Amino acid sequence: MAVPRDVFIVCNNTDAMGGLQRWAHHLAGLLASRGAKVTLVGVTHAPERHRHQRGGSYSVVALHDAWHPPALAWRPGSVRQRMNVRARARDLWRTAAMRQGAARLSSLFGAARPGAVVIVAQVWAMEWVRHADTTGLKIVGMSHESYRATRRSTRYARVREHYACADRFLALTAEDADAWARAGMSNADHMPNPLHVLPGPAAPLDAPVVACVGRLAHEKGVDLLLEAWEEVAARHPRWRLRVYGDGPEEAALIDRAEAAGLGGSIEFRGVTGDVGAALGGASVFALPSRDEGFPMSVLESMAQGLPTVAFDCAPGVRELLEDGASGLLVPPGDTVAFAAALDRLIGDAALRRTLGAEARVSVLRYHPDRVLGRWERLFDLLHREPPAGVPEPLPGRAPRRSAGERSGAGRPVVDPAAAFGAETGPA
Amino acid sequence: MRARPDVSVVVIAYNDALRLPRAVGSVLGQSLGGVETVIVDDASTDGTGEIADRFAAGLPGRIRAVHLPANSGGCGRPRNVGIEHASGRFLMFLDSDDTLDRHACLNLVAAAEDTGADLVSGLCARIHLDRATKRVRPWYPWLYERRAVYGSLPENPDLLYDTLSTNKAYRRGFLEDQGLRFVERLNYEDLLFTAEAYLAAGRTALIPHRVYNWLVERRAGEQSITNRRAELTNFADRLAIHRRIDALFRRHGAADLKLAKDAKFVNHDLLLYLRELRNRDPGHQSRVLDLAAGYLADLDPRVFDTANAMPAIAAYLVREGDHAGALAAAEYGRSRKHEIRADLVELDGRVYWGGTMPDPSGHPVLDVTGLGFHLRPLNELRPANTVTALELRGGRAHLAGHVMNPLGRVPPGARLTGSLELYDRRRPGRAARARARVARVGDRLEWTADFDPVRRVRPLGFADPVWDTRLRIRVDGQEMVTRPGDGTGSPPLDGVALPVRPRLTRLAADRLSSYVTEAGHLAFTLDGGGRRARTTRALVHRAAASAVGRRGWARVRRSALAARRAATARTTKTTVFNRVLTRLPVRAGSAVFESHLGRHYAGNPKYIYRELRRSGRPVRAVWSHSAGTRGFPSGARLVRRGSWAYYLALARAEFWIDDQGFPDRLRKRRGTTYIQTWHGSAFKPMGFDQPKIKGGTPAEQARLRRMVGRYDCFLIRSRHDAGTLAKGLGVRAELLPAGYPRNDPLVTGARGDPELAAEVAALRRALRLDDGRRAVLYAPTFRHGAGGRPATGPGLPIDPVRFARDLGEDLVLLVRPHYLTRIDVPPGALDAIRDAGGVPDVTLLLLIADALITDHSSIMFDYALLDRPMVFHLPDEADLGTGYFDLARYAPGPITRTEDELVAALAGLDAGGAAHAGRRRDFVRRFGEHDRGTAARTVVDRYFPERRTPQRHFPGRGERGRTA
Repeated sequence: MAVPRDVFIVCNNTDAMGGLQRWAHHLAGLLASRGAKVTLVGVTHAPERHRHQRGGSYSVVALHDAWHPPALAWRPGSVRQRMNVRARARDLWRTAAMRQGAARLSSLFGAARPGAVVIVAQVWAMEWVRHADTTGLKIVGMSHESYRATRRSTRYARVREHYACADRFLALTAEDADAWARAGMSNADHMPNPLHVLPGPAAPLDAPVVACVGRLAHEKGVDLLLEAWEEVAARHPRWRLRVYGDGPEEAALIDRAEAAGLGGSIEFRGVTGDVGAALGGASVFALPSRDEGFPMSVLESMAQGLPTVAFDCAPGVRELLEDGASGLLVPPGDTVAFAAALDRLIGDAALRRTLGAEARVSVLRYHPDRVLGRWERLFDLLHREPPAGVPEPLPGRAPRRSAGERSGAGRPVVDPAAAFGAETGPA
Repeated sequence: MRARPDVSVVVIAYNDALRLPRAVGSVLGQSLGGVETVIVDDASTDGTGEIADRFAAGLPGRIRAVHLPANSGGCGRPRNVGIEHASGRFLMFLDSDDTLDRHACLNLVAAAEDTGADLVSGLCARIHLDRATKRVRPWYPWLYERRAVYGSLPENPDLLYDTLSTNKAYRRGFLEDQGLRFVERLNYEDLLFTAEAYLAAGRTALIPHRVYNWLVERRAGEQSITNRRAELTNFADRLAIHRRIDALFRRHGAADLKLAKDAKFVNHDLLLYLRELRNRDPGHQSRVLDLAAGYLADLDPRVFDTANAMPAIAAYLVREGDHAGALAAAEYGRSRKHEIRADLVELDGRVYWGGTMPDPSGHPVLDVTGLGFHLRPLNELRPANTVTALELRGGRAHLAGHVMNPLGRVPPGARLTGSLELYDRRRPGRAARARARVARVGDRLEWTADFDPVRRVRPLGFADPVWDTRLRIRVDGQEMVTRPGDGTGSPPLDGVALPVRPRLTRLAADRLSSYVTEAGHLAFTLDGGGRRARTTRALVHRAAASAVGRRGWARVRRSALAARRAATARTTKTTVFNRVLTRLPVRAGSAVFESHLGRHYAGNPKYIYRELRRSGRPVRAVWSHSAGTRGFPSGARLVRRGSWAYYLALARAEFWIDDQGFPDRLRKRRGTTYIQTWHGSAFKPMGFDQPKIKGGTPAEQARLRRMVGRYDCFLIRSRHDAGTLAKGLGVRAELLPAGYPRNDPLVTGARGDPELAAEVAALRRALRLDDGRRAVLYAPTFRHGAGGRPATGPGLPIDPVRFARDLGEDLVLLVRPHYLTRIDVPPGALDAIRDAGGVPDVTLLLLIADALITDHSSIMFDYALLDRPMVFHLPDEADLGTGYFDLARYAPGPITRTEDELVAALAGLDAGGAAHAGRRRDFVRRFGEHDRGTAARTVVDRYFPERRTPQRHFPGRGERGRTA
């Protein structure tokens, strides 16, 4: 790291057992290992705290021990809603509580050296950052899901509202960033997740096992995989499908597998702590997701040298896997094509090895060194200095912003009329 | 010692003291730190220079001010001077009346550093400041859909469309190495500069981010340089620039690029000027057009093939000296409804854009057969209407004019009626009508209208300041809408005043004064001629223009709009339906019928309705329609789909009978029985078997579950339906193995049913099937084009001319494309090919078709019942995906893959038909076992028992319903 820098990573929480928190701790460790002073900030704690692996190289802070006020700000639509005194009171309570958290954040930020950067990983946390004093810092907002997924959710409006004033807004892939840019977010850019495991020795790919890792929830599409597997199992009775993970649909999926007479060929193995070992015993990786951001499980399977079959459901999947080169992509929801792709890989060991070998090479695009290099270039770009001769602070310019002031329409465009005396500017 | 700045933004200004600070502010506010501003003052006289100096003094190092000793009269010189004074690694240009997006420099520099490009370009947005809504129009957005890097211009010649120099960052070393500078003393210096830059750049990057705000203010008086298109010198400059670009391409030996640039000139540059010329005097017109003709004569004639159709025609006619024809071609496509202002000529079975050419077939560019003027229904044609009289005769308005009759589409004996309408531009539904006499005289239609404006036209006053005109002509029941306007032979149409009496009395206004709109149409403004009207109008306008008045008026309009939206919104209607309407008592014996979302009177619901009527059951029938009531039965009450009457009828109905789906989220009450007849057996996956639904969100899946969950009864034609269609949709309702009511006539024939026989005979007449040739129906399935929209294009399996030549003696091809696609048949082949796309009821078509060509369409299941020859034409089977069964295994007819195979199969229809008779029977047994010709009766007997006191009809209720 050229200049030792202060970096703050702000998440909703830092201790839930989720992909985002794993990413945050991983990135914090990586940045710290290059000499940055990293503070990982959670707005609050997760209901069930999970201990993420970390060395002592960065500090972890939570702004609130627990968050009791309403999760979301109150945005009344109709006149009737406006007159809801109770909701108004709860919102005032929320704002007051948030200000306390934001004050803590401000004191953290205030101690930072020049050139510091705040990475806001989730849009909910961005509300606290907007209320904090970020003078001299650069704000980088992030969205860890595909544009399409955000567009369909209520987060879309919040992302547009809160991230509009960020200095940079990072999506996971270039395709998502372009979609945000077309939607009018001119600060959109992209940043992939760094590879969290490093490629080991090439797997032999001869065990008759297909592996699938993911939460057992609708968007992960394990039901679609079961449907495809009915056809595969009939043709390849020796092969087994191992499903790792748990979730709300677990019971329904197990019942469904039983009902389809697949009990013998599908193993539901629950959550695994060691994904690497689980994938090591497999020859094919299946990603039947209906939607994805930047799937970490695919990164891991690629690093293991496994060929992947996936629905072409999101830019993140397309970015990681090239159809026919490092995996097989099939049209979203087309279970027949998914089964055919599995069938093709199961029946062709040479193809498995070719795709797997290519995947191991291709995944190095996300080697931590390369991703950190990208972060470093971004930090550098954000902190380019103005040309020489600038009197600091600018004459007549008000202190940039104080706590709370930023909740307006984003950062003010410098008004030269205010800077140079009144009579020159437009009325 | 500091490093040089990343970006220098050259801001050029001439006499723009008011707006310069806004532009400079947008540079100072850049999110990228290392940005320097170079203000170049082009010898302004209004103090712009002093402001620039003050900026530079306030922020030394960040802002520099440069003054030209004398005004240069353009943008080229100041920008060049700016380049000399700039020190940044990248250069950008900004005009003093525009602004940069806050992240423009950061995005462009980041892209340049990522890609190593010499030139990075981002999206420019035109923002219209004078409109209340601040309309934003992106400039060539299709170029900027996604980030891209091009190694050289030939990789994407479309870059030449974006000729702005301002939405780009240039690597300074690149400008220096190539010696790139703006040309001085010529307007449109951007065009040449960008062409040179694109050509020279080692790499060009595009980003989809908006970087530049082009702020457009329409001010009275002086316009900015580029808006003063009308001037001749201006046009000459543009041509000079284009000549220089041509020379540039020649030097680089880039003939293909020149062709792409020429096409852009025809599509864009020339069209702008031609449209500007419409209202100018003939002398000016011919001066401009002669200049253009001189330039066009030098162009490679291939440009007429590569440019878009109508601009190519305009350019061709300019070159040939047909000014009127060229202007007419340029006008076509200007407004939303394209107006035909030139004669069309039919020659050798093709249609040509006429003009004054002695032989328009001389050049293929004039061939407009593909635009389908000979096929389109009259209501989609808009022939020019020239006003020849507009005057006030003794208190009565007298208007007259003539309408073109392209290709003689209005036949000599047609019965013609007309009505002239004046309508409020803001609410086009508010119209005053007067009868017009229309007659076919020679090759055009002449019309006159006489009316008393005071009695006929009742404006409100103030709220409806502009009134447009239109003339509706009914031709044998079909309607054609035209807009009266000026043309050769028009008297002056400006300033003729018609007296009116507004509802807000004559104090509000007392006359409608005529004028001609920019598009050349006749319109009226409401104003005051008398002293009292003038006084009140001045007072009201002053009050409305005051701050309080503006705010108040805006608030009134906003809330009125919000109220209207809320009252007509579907969510409102759904809520009222679920909470209020469905609490009203059920009206016994009432049934709401709907086919294909109300598109027409057809399908299974139609045949159930006919059976009800035939058997005289007491039923109050309501039919829903979405696109006009034409063809709907007179014995039923008709409601528009989505109207309040529709929701009320649904809420109180005892039966819902439909073949596709009633609106989502409507609660079906317990007293209502929903008979879902569906619209065809399935070959392609349906419902939850469709990849789109399988891969969909929980919300999408829940929607389908909700819709299907309302069914009480679902008609099936075979066990195949139960195992595919009903299972795929997830139907849990009773599966009624009755067959399809619409297929009853296919089994029993139309003989026993005089009403149906009459319909079939009428259809035969309409399709002109009376010469003993056999009819072959071509009915393909729906195909998706790009972006999920229906595929466009001719969609014929066989070249129409070839069909007419090889098979036209024995066969007539009836084409039924999907209802959203239009077919393209040249007039020469019309004798052998008929468009049956407008026939609502497929059953009738099937009855008159002697053979069928289809692909995967579900029509095969129905047609097989007739036991007539079928041909399966599957040229692109791979694209259609998999179905529920192997078509090749069960197909009751030959499968063809190429045009030759299809022609052969059609030539040997009888032999092929006989050979497949056994397979057809098997096919019907497998897929249509329940179709026994009694489906309608089965449904009616099951749900509509005969009552003791049959109240046969409700004519009174029906009539009232229709007029309400």
